[in-house]
Amino acid sequence: MFSVERKRGAFVFCVMLVAAIIMSACGSNGGNASSSGKDAAPAGSKEIQHEAGKTVVPAEPKRIVVLEFSFVDALWQLGIKPVGIAHENKDDIDLMLGQKIDYTSVGTRAEPSLETISTLKPDLIIADQNRHEAIYKDLSAIAPTLILKSRNASYEEVISAFQTIAEAVGKKEEGSRVLEEHRAKLEKLKAEIPANENRKVLVGVFRSDSLSAHGAKSFDGNLLELMNIPNAIQNAPGATAKISLEQLVEWNPDVIFMAEADDDLLNEWSKNPLWQNIDAVKNKQVFEVNRSLWTRFRGLDSAEKIAQEAIDHLYPKG
Amino acid sequence: MIERSAIPKRVHLLWVTIILIMVLLIAIVGSLSVGVASISWKELVEGFKGADSKSYSILMTIRLPRTVASIIVGANLAVAGALMQAMLRNPLASPQVFGINSGASLIVVAAVAFLPNIGSSNLIYLAFLGAVLGGAIVYSFSAKGGMTPVKLALAGMAVHLLLASVTQSILIFDERISDVLYWLAGSVDRASWSAISIVWPWSVAGLLFAIALSRPVSLLSLGGETAEGLGLNVRLMRLIIALIVVILAGASVSLAGAIGFVGLMVPNIVKMLVGENYSRVLPLSALCGAGLLTLADVLGRFIAYPYESPVGIVTALLGGPFFLYLAVSKGKGMK
Repeated sequence: MFSVERKRGAFVFCVMLVAAIIMSACGSNGGNASSSGKDAAPAGSKEIQHEAGKTVVPAEPKRIVVLEFSFVDALWQLGIKPVGIAHENKDDIDLMLGQKIDYTSVGTRAEPSLETISTLKPDLIIADQNRHEAIYKDLSAIAPTLILKSRNASYEEVISAFQTIAEAVGKKEEGSRVLEEHRAKLEKLKAEIPANENRKVLVGVFRSDSLSAHGAKSFDGNLLELMNIPNAIQNAPGATAKISLEQLVEWNPDVIFMAEADDDLLNEWSKNPLWQNIDAVKNKQVFEVNRSLWTRFRGLDSAEKIAQEAIDHLYPKG
Repeated sequence: MIERSAIPKRVHLLWVTIILIMVLLIAIVGSLSVGVASISWKELVEGFKGADSKSYSILMTIRLPRTVASIIVGANLAVAGALMQAMLRNPLASPQVFGINSGASLIVVAAVAFLPNIGSSNLIYLAFLGAVLGGAIVYSFSAKGGMTPVKLALAGMAVHLLLASVTQSILIFDERISDVLYWLAGSVDRASWSAISIVWPWSVAGLLFAIALSRPVSLLSLGGETAEGLGLNVRLMRLIIALIVVILAGASVSLAGAIGFVGLMVPNIVKMLVGENYSRVLPLSALCGAGLLTLADVLGRFIAYPYESPVGIVTALLGGPFFLYLAVSKGKGMK
């Protein structure tokens, strides 16, 4: 008898616990977190609209902490060095910018350290919607925080985040100039691509136990589509989609860019007669590309490099 | 209460068996015919005759092994769940309590994190090793100073949480793994003949042993003391059952990853249909588990068509509400 009562009690407790968690999660998304900065707005500060609401940002923030690579690129393009960066590998930032800069590591993008961030005394934090919206309130308690799109965002969404960042750091004009240059570079590259290019391209991350494809809504997929290079994966529910061998054979890409090429998966699939049925394999149009560049950095600079790399493979010289 | 006459009961049992077989057959047909590629009969026949045919290859190298895997995994998990429920005398018990999923997950995640060149074809052995390890830890803790169902459940839960938290902490430090391992969600879509050929002998042996032991399992489900009184060597029996559970659940976790709720749901459904006699519950659980998991896998191909959802997510979607229903209704029934 007792144990039954206790079990029911535990069940009710669990339901209440779940309810409490859901409610608290809703509360933290509720956007009133930014009001803290509103009371004493110093001269020149402005209100910036972002994915989680509006935040008052100082006129020219000097100490900026960023929690995604694409935000590092955005600031770098505007001539600003962030004081704190979230990253996984030691050389991530060097590889991305092509040179060493001084910054403090604030943990990984998935698990940034709030303590380290607060010791940096930042005057602006730029965080990712996908990864960090849940800690928006905590970040806002440290400094004014912008939540922008980066992970699983399309190229166009990354560009729009760039514009917001330019405005937030008080360099709107320079931002437009940088963007114009960037667009001019892409236009120039686009001129090398025939307008009637009809080969379907698959950007695939071949992991040890699955293939994850970057569809038309992903950063690189979206970018290539804008450059007139069609993506094999249209209408996927998200930026990436897990693809089985059956789907790969059925959707039959003409070109495969492998952002990661795990031998295990490739060995297994290449033993299957269906593998040779894929046009890209048949015509030897399978290329390995740089994983970090194609799937992680998502900046203006990486967009230009991705476009260049795609063109080099699709239209070999000589 | 006086037992009802035996004849209607037998007829009832026959109907349940026929319906479960029908469900399994429908699931198999669905699993073989549903997918992004449409299979043409003409091509299929040509393929059988030896021609190079896409339809034939898709059927034989992708859909058929996938279907066989879901049958094996479903039957294994359901029977392992029924054995756990009999041994713990608790309808909410499942192979998870034995630390099997968490043991397998830990070893696989640790291997991928610390031995980057391990290769996914070796994961099947590592997962099995992890499952055995998880089971051994739980068993040795709960067997100390005489095993009772409560001790086993508590030790199982504690070890499960401990292993899961270690796994989680590895995942936090190496974020890549959670993306790398589609395996963690539990899926049968990449099952290959080579993986199946490793697993099926274990699975068949486990299932046959379990069904052969259904009488002592029924006794054990009456409680340790009663079973002892009826002449059963309870300690030995518990050890044997634990071994079978580890083999069955270990085989399925290594083939398809951590799929939850099948071991919980199926035996309860079967017990509702045919009562607590384990000589019926065990074989029918195997049948029902195979049908349910195969159906769930077909369902997973529809949720976001033409993209696929892992079968582990489908079983969790079905199993979550079922678990709550069970918790509430069993509570009422016991009062």
